[in-house]
Amino acid sequence: MIELQNIDFSVGQRQILRNVSLKIPAGGRLLIRGDSGTGKSTILRLILGLVQPDSGRVIIDEETQNRNNIWSQRLKMAYVSQDMQLGRGKTESFIKEVFSYRNNRHLTYDRRDVEKYFDLFGMNGVTPEHRLEDLSGGELQRVAIITALLLKRPIYLLDEITSALDANLKIKITGHFLSMKNATLVIVSHDQHWYEHDIQTLTLDA
Amino acid sequence: MTEAAPDITLIRLLLGFALLIIPAGLSWWVRLGIIRKMFVSTGRMTAQLFLVSILLIYLFDVDNPYINTGWVIIMIIFAAGASMMSSGLRFRHFFIPIFASYFFGAGFSLLYFIGIVVNPESIFTAQLLVVLGGMLLGNSLNSVIIGISHFYQSLQKEKKRYHYLLSLGASIREAQMPFFREAVIAAMRPFLANMATMGVVFLPGMMTGQILGGASPDTAIKYQIAIMLAIFTSVTLSISLSLFFTSRKGFDEYGVLKEDLFK
Repeated sequence: MIELQNIDFSVGQRQILRNVSLKIPAGGRLLIRGDSGTGKSTILRLILGLVQPDSGRVIIDEETQNRNNIWSQRLKMAYVSQDMQLGRGKTESFIKEVFSYRNNRHLTYDRRDVEKYFDLFGMNGVTPEHRLEDLSGGELQRVAIITALLLKRPIYLLDEITSALDANLKIKITGHFLSMKNATLVIVSHDQHWYEHDIQTLTLDA
Repeated sequence: MTEAAPDITLIRLLLGFALLIIPAGLSWWVRLGIIRKMFVSTGRMTAQLFLVSILLIYLFDVDNPYINTGWVIIMIIFAAGASMMSSGLRFRHFFIPIFASYFFGAGFSLLYFIGIVVNPESIFTAQLLVVLGGMLLGNSLNSVIIGISHFYQSLQKEKKRYHYLLSLGASIREAQMPFFREAVIAAMRPFLANMATMGVVFLPGMMTGQILGGASPDTAIKYQIAIMLAIFTSVTLSISLSLFFTSRKGFDEYGVLKEDLFK
């Protein structure tokens, strides 16, 4: 469960979030919408502990987030944003490096899982052998999504992940996430494909 | 042993300055607007080298191991200061870690080169310690500046990528690793290119100097090869240590890059 309690957040003099509270039960889905600059992405960054609120609390599974438990809390989440840069080198080496992190060693890397997702998300002709620097923006985006999915985390924080993709892929990817029954999803998007499903929404005003 | 090149008299050196008429004339003609800067830089170079020569004459004269070591440490302080000035990062966070990385990085290569390769009766003589120490530090300096600016700037520019790696379960170290690799490669690239063309495109300074000083090209080349290896080691060690030592201080307890690192 993800809970935000009375969050105030500002950057310099500018207040971005004022007294924001929300609660997402395990397996729940929340779509955050609003104009740019209203703090949609900030909510995801707060949940990830990448920024700290001026006041208020972030609570994950009954535990108030702090500098001691942040590292174990992050292991419950996977986060993908738009315009992902993944660096250079073979796609498979990137994914393997993520699997080599101490925190991910309990997972076993299986090339077939990767290929399954590559097929599913229409990576036409692109294989894990291709180099990241040769992939298009939309392909990199899908590599980032696939890597996050391979980690099988209970919470997914998705920041405009479908904006660089064509309509067909948008449907595939939104459909895939929404079909994961036990996953908790927090989605920031302007994309109507998410709205078509029965989903709780939060609209932020400037 | 060939004979050393003749000394340059003061009058002849002044004639050397006459060469400046050419760049100054060119600058005036095409209005580069750098005549003033040119004279200031040339003046600084001349004054600094004269001062250093006075100091070197003194150091060679006294040739005390403690004073020589002390001077190498002062050079490291200057190198650490210069690195901070040019890297666009704030001084107070990083001075000690950068000092330590030169101290261990360049220090190790220097002692190895003198102690194991040259193998003289005394390691701590001014002729070896001070002169070679300056060479190793000067070369490591450029690389450390390139490496450290590259590392912190790309972490700032590619924040999303770093945050993404943190969210994938990386520790601070694991999430830094790709940025670390890219920074070390960026720092080493000019040096590797330089090493690969050495002798073909240009004769390196140390070798030229030794030959002018009367050493046979044979000795000069062996020194040059060995010093290049020592420089390479010093560059690699200093840059890696500087990223390693600074990276703890550059990030908060949530693993996020501190914003106040930059000037």
